[in-house]
Amino acid sequence: MPQDVLQQTYDVIVVGSGATGGWAAKRLAESGLKVALLEAGRAVSPREFTEHMPAYKLKYRDHSPEIKRTRPIQTQCYACMEYNYEWFVNDLENPYSTPADRPFSWQRLRVVGGRSLVWGRQSYRLSDTDFKAKTFDGYGDDWPFSYQDLAPYYDIVERYVGISGAPEQNDMLPDGQFLPPMQMTCGEVRLRDRAQAKFGRTLTVGRVAVLTQDHNGRAACHFCGPCERGCSTFSYFSSPFTTVKDAVKSGNCTLITNAVVAHVNMDNGANKASGVTYVDRVTKETKQVRGKAVILCAQALESTRILLNSSTSEYPNGLANSSGALGRYLMDHPAGGGASGTFDDLSTLPSANPPNRPNGIYMIRFRNTPKTGKHPDFIRGYGFQGGSSPEFDMDAPGIGAGYKKAVKRGIYQVSLGAFGESLANWDNFCEIDKNLKDAWGIPALRISMAHGKNEAALMRDAGVTAAEMLEAAGAKNIQVQTGFGIPGMSIHEVGTARMGDDPKKFVLNAYNQAHDVKNLFVTDGSCYVSSACQNPTLTMMAITVRACDHLIGRFKRNEV
Amino acid sequence: MFRTPLISRRDLIRAALLAGATSVFAPALAFGQTAPAETTPAQHGVDDSRLLADPNWKPALLSDQQNETLIALSEAIIPATDTPGAKAALVNRFLDLVLSGETEELQRPFIESLAYVDSESRRLFDKNFSDLHSDQQNELLQPWAYSVRNRWFSEEHADPGPQHFNRLKSAIAMAYYTSEIGQKELGWDGSFTHGPFRGCQHAPAAHSGTPHNATSHN
Repeated sequence: MPQDVLQQTYDVIVVGSGATGGWAAKRLAESGLKVALLEAGRAVSPREFTEHMPAYKLKYRDHSPEIKRTRPIQTQCYACMEYNYEWFVNDLENPYSTPADRPFSWQRLRVVGGRSLVWGRQSYRLSDTDFKAKTFDGYGDDWPFSYQDLAPYYDIVERYVGISGAPEQNDMLPDGQFLPPMQMTCGEVRLRDRAQAKFGRTLTVGRVAVLTQDHNGRAACHFCGPCERGCSTFSYFSSPFTTVKDAVKSGNCTLITNAVVAHVNMDNGANKASGVTYVDRVTKETKQVRGKAVILCAQALESTRILLNSSTSEYPNGLANSSGALGRYLMDHPAGGGASGTFDDLSTLPSANPPNRPNGIYMIRFRNTPKTGKHPDFIRGYGFQGGSSPEFDMDAPGIGAGYKKAVKRGIYQVSLGAFGESLANWDNFCEIDKNLKDAWGIPALRISMAHGKNEAALMRDAGVTAAEMLEAAGAKNIQVQTGFGIPGMSIHEVGTARMGDDPKKFVLNAYNQAHDVKNLFVTDGSCYVSSACQNPTLTMMAITVRACDHLIGRFKRNEV
Repeated sequence: MFRTPLISRRDLIRAALLAGATSVFAPALAFGQTAPAETTPAQHGVDDSRLLADPNWKPALLSDQQNETLIALSEAIIPATDTPGAKAALVNRFLDLVLSGETEELQRPFIESLAYVDSESRRLFDKNFSDLHSDQQNELLQPWAYSVRNRWFSEEHADPGPQHFNRLKSAIAMAYYTSEIGQKELGWDGSFTHGPFRGCQHAPAAHSGTPHNATSHN
C-alpha cells in the first residue's frame, strides 16, 4: 500500500518548481494557504554554479563524448554542457517514444527550478493579435481572455522578476515594466536604423530577465556571459533563488524534492482531486500527499502525462479529459529561418574579455499584423532574434602566423533567426505509450508532432526578409537559411491542455481550472490556446499568477 | 544576506569571484542534501586543466606515427610565434583524449584524414609529414589552406585535399583556442567581469545612412 507519510492535508499541492510552479507556490503561500511544492529532482545549490570556470578546466572542454551516452537527447539543447549536464534528465531513465518519421526533441531538467536554471531569459508579452488570432484570420481558437485581462499580471511578474528592455510603443509587442535596457552594438544599431528606414520594421534590444540594476535584493548583472551555468549574483531570474525561496520563507510552503509524481488521486464520489501519488526518486517508495486543490506546473508534456496517467472509471481517457482534447494541439515554435552575414567595414576587434552581454536583439513581428494586412502565402508571423558583434574567426583561411593573426582580427558577424508561430493542430499530440515506462515504473509518453506547410512558409519568408534587411544594412557574405529544426528544439512546447470556455472543446477554463474537476488546475504552457511567436515563459508566469489569484478567491469564499 | 542592504553590487561580484563565496550565497533554505554523485565534475570543483601535462602521457587512440603527424601538422597550422603554438598547447593530446571517447564511426574520418596527409607527403616528398622540412610542409598545405576562400558556401569540395585538411584544421583550432595557452593568445586576462556592457557610443544617427555613403565606424 502506498505510504501516506505526510499526515497533513495541504490547501494546495503544486507539482513542479520551475518558472510557473515557483510562482504558484509563492503566490499561494504568501496569501496564507498551506502549500506542498513537489519537485521530481533534487535541490540545487549555488555551489554548483560554474559560470566563472574557463573551458580548459573541463576534461573535454565542453566536447565531452561521455555525456552523449546518458543524454543523447539532452545534448541537443544549447544549454546542456559538460559544465551542467547533471541538471538535465538522464535520457535512459526518462524515455519517451515518437513515430520514426516524426522526431521530437524533449529537453528538460529535473532539479529544483527546472528549466528556469538554464532558460534563454527572453521575456515578451503577447498582444491581442495573438490572443484574438482567430478573429483576425479565422484559424484555430481565440483565447478565453484578452490582453487587458492579463496585463496586470504581466505587471506583477515583471516588477518582481526584473525584465530589462526598451519600450517601443508597438501594438504587436506590448511594453512592460522594464528595467533599463541593455545596449546595442554598432552593427545592431545599423541594422535597426536601416530596417526601420527601408522596411518600417522595429528592432529592439532583447527584453530579458537579467537585471541591469540591483533589484529586489538581487545584484545587477556583471556581464560574465554564460547564465545557463548558474549565476553567483542571482542576476538572471531562476525560481530556486527567488519565488521558491520566498514561498519557503513564508512558512507556508513545504518543498518536497525527489517526488516523481505518478498521478493525481481522486475522490470519485465528490468528483474532486484529493492529492497526488509520487515515487521517491531515490528510494523508489510510493508516497501520497493530500491536498484540497492540485495545481500542475510540471511543464506542458509532463503535466499532460500526469493527467493521462490519472485515468479513473469516470475519466477512462485521462483525468479531466471529457473533451478528448487532452494531449492534443501540441505546439513548438519552428525556428531557424533567417540569414547571417558580415559587416566588413566595421572594424571593432573581437575580445576574449568580458563584458559579455547575455542577450541579443529582437525584431518585432511584422507579418499579418493589423497594420501590414494579410500575407498571401501564410497566416500568423515570426519574430527575429539575433545579434551583431565582432567574433574571433577560427575559420579564417591559411596557416601559420598569418592564420593566427586572422583569427584575432576576426569578423564582424550579424545574424537574424526566427521563431515562428506553430499552429494548433489536432494531429500533433502526445499519448501514453503502453509499452514504455520510466525508471520509476511510470508509463511514458509517445509524442507525435511535425511542423506543417504554414510553418515551412513562415521560415522560408523569414530567410528572405532577414536577407533583405541584412543587405539593406550593408552586410556582405549573406547566407540565407530557410530550413528549420525538428519540433521540440525551440523548447517552447505548449498547448496540450488548452483553455477555453467550451467544456466540450477545452480541458481548462479561462482561469486554468479543469472543466471536469473543479479543484484541479494546470498553469504551465499546456494551457496555451495558440503559440504566438514570442518566447512563452513570461506569459506562463503571468497566467499562473492570475490563476492563483482566482484560486485564492475561491478559498476565501469557501468554494474549494 | 538578502536582508542586508549594506552589501554593494561590487561586493557581491567580488564575493562571487572568490571560491569561498558559496558560504555567503548559500540560501537560508533547507534545500535538502545535494548528492555529489549527481553533480558534474565542474559542479563539484574538479580542475582538469593539468590533465594532459602528465609526463608519462601516452596516446589512448592514436598510433605513435599518427600522433607525430598530428603534432607536426598542428604546429604547422598554429606555430609558435611570439606566442606559444599548438605543440606547446598539447593539441595532439587533447584531440587524442576527445577522440578516444568517441565511437569508431566518429574516430574514423579523423584517422583517415591524418593518413591522407601522410600519403600525400610520401607521394610528393617520399617522407611522412613529420619528417618534412617546414617549407616542404608549407608547400603541401598552402594549396589546401586557401582553396575554399568563401567560408559561407558549404558544398563539399571536390578535391579531397581541402576536405581532409579542413577537417583536421578545425579540430586543431578548437583544441588550441580552448586551451589555456589559446585563451591567452586571444587576449583573455583571466577576469570574468569588466563592468557593464557598453554598446555603440556613436551619435544617434551615425549608422543610419545608406550602406554606401555611411561612415565606417569602429
